[in-house]
Amino acid sequence: MKLTTKTSLSFISLSTIFFLIGSVFMYFAVRVILAEDLSSRLYQMQGNFIDNINSKNDISNASNQHIFINESFEINTTQFSDTVLIENDKYVLYRKICFYHNIHNEIYKIEILQSQAQTDLLIWRIVILNVALAMVFFLIIFFLNQISVRRGLKVFYSTVSKLENFNISKPELMYFENAEIDELKKLTEVLKKMSLKISSDFNEQKEYTENVSHEIQTPLAIISSKADELLQSENLKKEEMEQLEIIMNTTTRLAKINQALILLTKIDNRFYTDISVISIDKIIHEKLDFFSDLISEKKIILTTNICNILDFKMNRYLADTLFLNIIKNAIMHNNISGSININLEGNILQIMNTGPKLLNKENIFKRFVRSSNKDSLGIGLSIVKRVCNFYFIDINYSFDKVHRFNLNFKDEKKLL
Amino acid sequence: MHSKNKILLVEDESSLSKLVVKYLSDNSYICTHVSRLKSARELIKKNSYNTVLLDLGLPDGDGLSLIKEIKQKDYTCGVIIISAKDGLNNKVEGLDLGADDYLTKPFFMPELNARVKSLIRRLNFEGNNEILIGALKVIPDQMRLVINDCDVELTNSEFNLLLYFTSNKNRVLSKTNLAEYMSSKYFDYGFSDDVIYGHIKNLKKKLEKSGAPDYIKNIYGVGYKFIV
Repeated sequence: MKLTTKTSLSFISLSTIFFLIGSVFMYFAVRVILAEDLSSRLYQMQGNFIDNINSKNDISNASNQHIFINESFEINTTQFSDTVLIENDKYVLYRKICFYHNIHNEIYKIEILQSQAQTDLLIWRIVILNVALAMVFFLIIFFLNQISVRRGLKVFYSTVSKLENFNISKPELMYFENAEIDELKKLTEVLKKMSLKISSDFNEQKEYTENVSHEIQTPLAIISSKADELLQSENLKKEEMEQLEIIMNTTTRLAKINQALILLTKIDNRFYTDISVISIDKIIHEKLDFFSDLISEKKIILTTNICNILDFKMNRYLADTLFLNIIKNAIMHNNISGSININLEGNILQIMNTGPKLLNKENIFKRFVRSSNKDSLGIGLSIVKRVCNFYFIDINYSFDKVHRFNLNFKDEKKLL
Repeated sequence: MHSKNKILLVEDESSLSKLVVKYLSDNSYICTHVSRLKSARELIKKNSYNTVLLDLGLPDGDGLSLIKEIKQKDYTCGVIIISAKDGLNNKVEGLDLGADDYLTKPFFMPELNARVKSLIRRLNFEGNNEILIGALKVIPDQMRLVINDCDVELTNSEFNLLLYFTSNKNRVLSKTNLAEYMSSKYFDYGFSDDVIYGHIKNLKKKLEKSGAPDYIKNIYGVGYKFIV
């Protein structure tokens, strides 16, 4: 819900509640005022009536439709009350003054009635008019509010859309409009500072990871080359050679782990921000071609069932990494003469392969969780998972005679 | 390859440079080493090289800028990028600029040797080259092996292994080294010792069947040696 709608709605609902309470209050207040007015009129009528009788000295003809005269035995105090008469089959509310008068030594109870229909009607008219005016007033306020808030927040919306397109490696492209409103001015100033800070942090981090990579890989290159050189010497004992081989193996492994961890860090640090349109259907064939020698050497039966084209916006390098790793995984952990089955239907890619059952399938995407294949680092699938998370691609693994990976390219913003 | 091939190494890490220079000199190349882009530029202007080995992160700039200059001056001069920088991104950029090959640190010297050899072959013979070694005739571009005028059918992996052996004859190639070489062709596909062993066993069998001597010696527990 938009801020303007939200504030307007709460404004209107609160006002309506207060207005309703006020209307009820007003209704009763008007009633009281009008009742008082009626009472004073009845008093006046009482005065007129008494004057009239006194001047005529006769009460016999004084009664009419709204004046009732009855004999009474006692004198009570003057009283007001409400009463209902049936006139033309309609109930009509009347206000009544009841008083006692002594004439020719006889006591009469005199009731004078005054219709309240007029005042009732008046009250209702006032209330309806009031409600109508208030509604019009609210509507006008609502629209004026919307317009003014929208105008005031124009800079805010443009800032938000700029933030959406924020490219961490190109902070200079961030240009915020100057806002008139102090709060927004403050916000854009903070955002300007923050975007510059983020970019400089990002660049430092980037430089750091690159340096780490460079600085560690080079000594490793020297160690393994030296070991390789030593291995070429004549007259080495078998054990010595074996130890040199272990040094080379371990060094290579270390270099691989280093590279993989750097890649994971880079993905996390949003290093790969260039986006291009990747045809998932094409890239699958491309990567299968890449591994075709290995597939045929392992005598793997490959079936692909690609029902549709699927274009997805992602970084080219990460796409290569994702598909190389997941297809490599399907070949590497497969049996000789096994099978790989790849289906693409709608937004869902399914990769199934035969292979020995895993003991621990919960940890399949975790780092350094390896199968029995000691030559795998156990990091490929964790890279796959990381790339998938990065692009909100749902990935899950199940095992039912075959290993099955399901990838759902569900992010509509990235689909074409 | 009658005369000695000249190689220029541009690399700022001195201990690695020493290793590379020594290794390449032992393999009958003339290898010159500089550690700055500026001196590399001057040398390239004055001399002609068969191959330039170029590190990307140099103290006085990025090696990528040198690629264009090299290629403009002498198209037959090959450029191999050797870098610890993250693979694919730089690789694509480097190859786009005209580099011929890309080797990620750390690498094994035999692999560097194989790449240099194959690059020089490619640039000098434009694909019509043959390697004659012992009784074998290897034609890399057609992926053919000919023994006694007969073609020997090899799988791609077997052929790649044979090519690697011929580039590094009389040298102990450790299991790790061979696995790395094969893996690097397939995006770090983890080749196990068993798989490498299987390929080499098949290769030896095929060579034996075709009447070639047993060139590939097994060095137990360590690796193999191609002895001619």
